[in-house]
Amino acid sequence: MKHYDVVCPFCGCLCDDLEITVENNRIIGVDNGCTLGNAKFMGKERLSSPIRRNGDGWETISYEEAVGYTVDMLLEADRPLLYGWSGTHGEAQCTGVHMCELVGGIIDSTTSVCHGPSILAIQEVGHPGCTLGRVKNRADVVIYWGCNPLEAHPRHMSRYTTYADGYFLDNAFRERKVIVVDVRKTETARVADEFVRIKPGGDYAVLSALRAIVRGKGDMVPASVAGVSRSQLERMVAMCKDAKFGAVFFGLGLTMTKGKYKNIRNAIELVDELSRHTKFTITPMRGHWNVYGSNEVFTWMTGYPYAIDFCRGIAFYNPGETSAIDILARKECDACLIVGSDPGAHFPRGCAEHLADIPVVVIDPVPTMTTAFANVQIPVAVSGIDAEGTAYRMDGVPIRVKKVIEPTLPSDSEVLGDIFARMKEATGYD
Amino acid sequence: MKVTLEVKPRRKPYLPIEAEGIMPRTFFEGADGLTVYRGNKELALEEIFSVAIEGEAASVDEVAIEILGDSSRIKRIGEYMDGGRIHIAGDIGMHCGNFMSAGEIVIDGNADAWLGREMRGGAIRCHGNAGDYCGAGYRGEKRGMRGGTVEVLGDAGDFAAETLAGGTVIIHGNAGDLAGVDMKDGVLTIMGETWRACANMSGGTCYVHGTVHDMIPTFRNVGRETVGGEVFTRFAGDIANRGKGTLFIRNYKYMD
Ligand code: SF4
Repeated sequence: MKHYDVVCPFCGCLCDDLEITVENNRIIGVDNGCTLGNAKFMGKERLSSPIRRNGDGWETISYEEAVGYTVDMLLEADRPLLYGWSGTHGEAQCTGVHMCELVGGIIDSTTSVCHGPSILAIQEVGHPGCTLGRVKNRADVVIYWGCNPLEAHPRHMSRYTTYADGYFLDNAFRERKVIVVDVRKTETARVADEFVRIKPGGDYAVLSALRAIVRGKGDMVPASVAGVSRSQLERMVAMCKDAKFGAVFFGLGLTMTKGKYKNIRNAIELVDELSRHTKFTITPMRGHWNVYGSNEVFTWMTGYPYAIDFCRGIAFYNPGETSAIDILARKECDACLIVGSDPGAHFPRGCAEHLADIPVVVIDPVPTMTTAFANVQIPVAVSGIDAEGTAYRMDGVPIRVKKVIEPTLPSDSEVLGDIFARMKEATGYD
Repeated sequence: MKVTLEVKPRRKPYLPIEAEGIMPRTFFEGADGLTVYRGNKELALEEIFSVAIEGEAASVDEVAIEILGDSSRIKRIGEYMDGGRIHIAGDIGMHCGNFMSAGEIVIDGNADAWLGREMRGGAIRCHGNAGDYCGAGYRGEKRGMRGGTVEVLGDAGDFAAETLAGGTVIIHGNAGDLAGVDMKDGVLTIMGETWRACANMSGGTCYVHGTVHDMIPTFRNVGRETVGGEVFTRFAGDIANRGKGTLFIRNYKYMD
């Protein structure tokens, strides 16, 4: 049986044109996906039942026991951290927020280690953004800054920019100019019309120089800024000013390097400045398929997009203090629930060491590096494969991810729903 | 009135204690039933501190609080303080002196991040180092510290005096990256080195007696000027932001 228009639950592009062939409730073929998406659909390394650490090994336990362990762990903790959420659907994220409020914990998503700085910058100066559809149909200048879509978001250029047709462009491939700004010549840089190579840590200075040039103050910019000649910066500004519609996309090369959110603020202010001459927009290249969903859900439920501390009964937000990586590095939590994320693989060693010292429950379909720090792991169905729910694409468009095979395990929503129900029962919460 | 609070050993020493109630006015008005928080647990003050109160006070300015022991994880001491004195014998946790409007806080050790966040008045003197965001603003807030003085005798972390909108911040050692970023008013003085000072500044004055590394390329060099017997290069900017700030620097290096 073939399923059409299936949504890929891997990266923030959320491509919704995949064709999945299923036989005997097993996926045997994926069409239209990229290598990353195909690998996710064809992945086989699933856990089949909850496991609990037992000395040096693991024992299989029931869902009932695993849920019971999680409820006790969260209710006993003084400062539990509920982390992850980017690899699950919006409905499960909603339950996560309710649980966090009930136990008085901290909820944070992988945002804090990817595009959290983008949100901090947006909170300072706003967001001149648009949908990917608008970029596809209108953009004649596309800037990729500190990101490498050909390898990290493999279909971004073919679906939305360089290789996509555009309704308002006669010959999109020839009319669109691509500028890549990066510290090294990436695969994406090789297909760019203009590659601007900057010294590591020089993004902020280059953005400031571009802003000054756009404002007609190029005469005061030094001859070279962070490895980029003033003449190249002037050429880049000329290309941008000539554009009918420009779109900037940026990645972790901008959010997670020196200056972090101030880099993004500077980029937004450059876009703002360019919009005095033509139309320009800016969009974060979000990585996890539903990381933006976590921001949407958390914001509509708590007023804040990530790193929310409910310990005092009200929402408090201060990334750098209430973000998972900072809390773990400073050993400021005494229990951790991890949902759909793998901090064991991505966080600094100090964070992993603290995870090893406190009780940890992981809700994830597959064994990950984080499993090594878990006391209990609860396997679930994979959203977008055998569970369905709502996700948000990198540009903020909500898309329903479908299921293509019948589940043999409960979904994130079901497991979290059970945990929440048991918590309410234990605390008499109405 | 002298209030002595000595931090007791805790079973989970790394979990922060939030203690915004610890400020002179609370004790002046009667601190019976004062609580602090360890995560989601509300605890009596006495569970975390040994408390001794001597004498009486006719006004809040006559209240002096002495904090002893390991207070490095005690947050929000002196938040909204409006008079009196707090002396911290060791290190202090985040958000010390948030929003304070009057009085004095003296820290013998180091201060963690957000020291004097959005302070309105009064004085903070930290004899050790200060963490990131010393004398800065809250997330998303356009105006940070608006009055008073923060003086750090050691080094400060990144983003010192971010969005400074009034008052004085003096760092006797080095300041980290982006000191004075987005500052709008007030005076920032750095006696040592710093990095990318006053990026996107729109107003106010900054003096750097050491070297500014990775100098922001969009400040206009106005020329040499002598201030207090020292010769500085005077810059105006940040031009990228139509800024009207003033930057006096002894030495600077661009990332070219
Ligand atoms: S680009 Fe991203 S969403 Fe599209 S198929 Fe590849 S991994 Fe999946």
